[in-house]
Amino acid sequence: MRLSRTLALGASLLVLLSACSTGGGSKPTIKIGSVGFDEARVVAEIYAQALEADGYTVDRAGIGLGSRKVLLPALESGQIDLQPEYIGSGLASGYGGASTSDPATNRTELQKVLDGKGGGITVLDYTPAVDTNALVVRKDTADQYNLKTWGDLAAVQNDLKWGLATDCPTNPVCAKALKDAYGIDPADVTLLDACSTPMADALLAGTIDVAELCSTGPEIIVNGWVRLEDDKGTQPADNIAPLVRNDFLAKTDKAAFSKILNDISAKIDTPTLAQLYYDVAVGLKDTKDVASAWLKANGFVK
Amino acid sequence: MNLITETAAWLTDPAQWSGPGDIPQRLLEHLGLSALSLLAALAIALPAGLFIGHTRRGTALAANLANIGRAIPSLAVIGIVLPFTAAIDPQLGFKVYPTLVAMVILAIPPILVNAEAGVIGVDRDLVESARAMGMREAQVLRSVEIPVALPVILTGIRSAATQIVATMTLGAIFGSGGLGRFLVEGIAQNDDGKIFGGVVLVASLALVTEAVFAVLQRAGTSAGLRRPEPNRRAIPSVVT
Repeated sequence: MRLSRTLALGASLLVLLSACSTGGGSKPTIKIGSVGFDEARVVAEIYAQALEADGYTVDRAGIGLGSRKVLLPALESGQIDLQPEYIGSGLASGYGGASTSDPATNRTELQKVLDGKGGGITVLDYTPAVDTNALVVRKDTADQYNLKTWGDLAAVQNDLKWGLATDCPTNPVCAKALKDAYGIDPADVTLLDACSTPMADALLAGTIDVAELCSTGPEIIVNGWVRLEDDKGTQPADNIAPLVRNDFLAKTDKAAFSKILNDISAKIDTPTLAQLYYDVAVGLKDTKDVASAWLKANGFVK
Repeated sequence: MNLITETAAWLTDPAQWSGPGDIPQRLLEHLGLSALSLLAALAIALPAGLFIGHTRRGTALAANLANIGRAIPSLAVIGIVLPFTAAIDPQLGFKVYPTLVAMVILAIPPILVNAEAGVIGVDRDLVESARAMGMREAQVLRSVEIPVALPVILTGIRSAATQIVATMTLGAIFGSGGLGRFLVEGIAQNDDGKIFGGVVLVASLALVTEAVFAVLQRAGTSAGLRRPEPNRRAIPSVVT
């Protein structure tokens, strides 16, 4: 017992010593963060485990930390080094930029903004996967009002009870886009966390008839709900990309580090993302298990 | 702009004082639901506490139940209750009842424990004298035990009311009205003025509630109890 304690102490001292010896090419501790919902957490966990497999030490205290309001200042001040970000929404609601439906433009624009934040922050490659804000109705509502698109909602907006994201009133791609593009400004709105269990519960219980959910949200498939088409293309392309602090990149082998994450991001397409989200939210599996199973299945770790 | 000027700007913005979701509306929602929760908790806990205090039966059970009630986080209660009440009524069952249930569970322990402790703490000589004068048990409770125990009973109610007013904010996460909306929306909308404006409103309301009940408590204390004589056995200290 005593021997093992001594060994453990020695091992932790070694870790401390190696963490102190920073400089280009070393593999220092990386502090990873993410927003609170399952999809972002599982993507953060995938990046975390891939980096661990390559010899980095990962501090996971920031995973599931909270909303952008909390996370972006944490990244800018260096309390975290890396976070997966939805680049379209990050640009629009995080930094007030004008996001588009083209992910490459969104990345370029977001990079321009982040060059001047927190001593420089780099946007790595984005995933082919897109998770966009979706308006979802129950099957019976869709049939009753013959709803297929967001445009169809405009005429019946006040016959329906709406559940929109809590930040919707001030989010340019939410309330403003609905009003300007579709003339939708409904009277009965309940503000709830988007992409969250209360929002889905409210749609299921009939508290609301229209819910703002994530397009990859597993509740949509499980409950046979109908996702309406954003026919005027108001919602930004929300591909996911890791944001990394430049001061962290300077401490390590930047090219090798970026390659690890870029190779992973390239493999995450929309069905993959939806499946990962499903496994955690509906399958109730641990994010760590889901992440490690996916990394093994795709040959990133042995 | 710093936090104080941002908060002041938000609180004095005319838009916050008129229209749907303005401060008066949220204040009324908050007070209404708080009052309803307190009344429901009183209806359950006060008779139970007085009965247990008078008969001294079930004191251990009451103490344990009260401790369990205190140990359950209100947020968990809301989450557990919500699916059931929402299945009964999709509107109120989602936005109002879960918070109401959580607030009643929060308010029962202090009311119950103080009512019981207040009655148990009444001087036995007084109670026996009342019985010797021919009072029935109900009369003993009504005319002797309750008036003497009233300051302690009111302390429990005061504590419950303040806790309800402060904790009610949690319901906003699940779409309930009240002042908690400003906190939840302020955080999501990255609006510090709204967050701290809401904080100032909730904290002020809790202090006002505390003050109102302190006045009630003073008014409810029988004149004979205000200045105890030196050799009189002390009224038991406040149990919260």
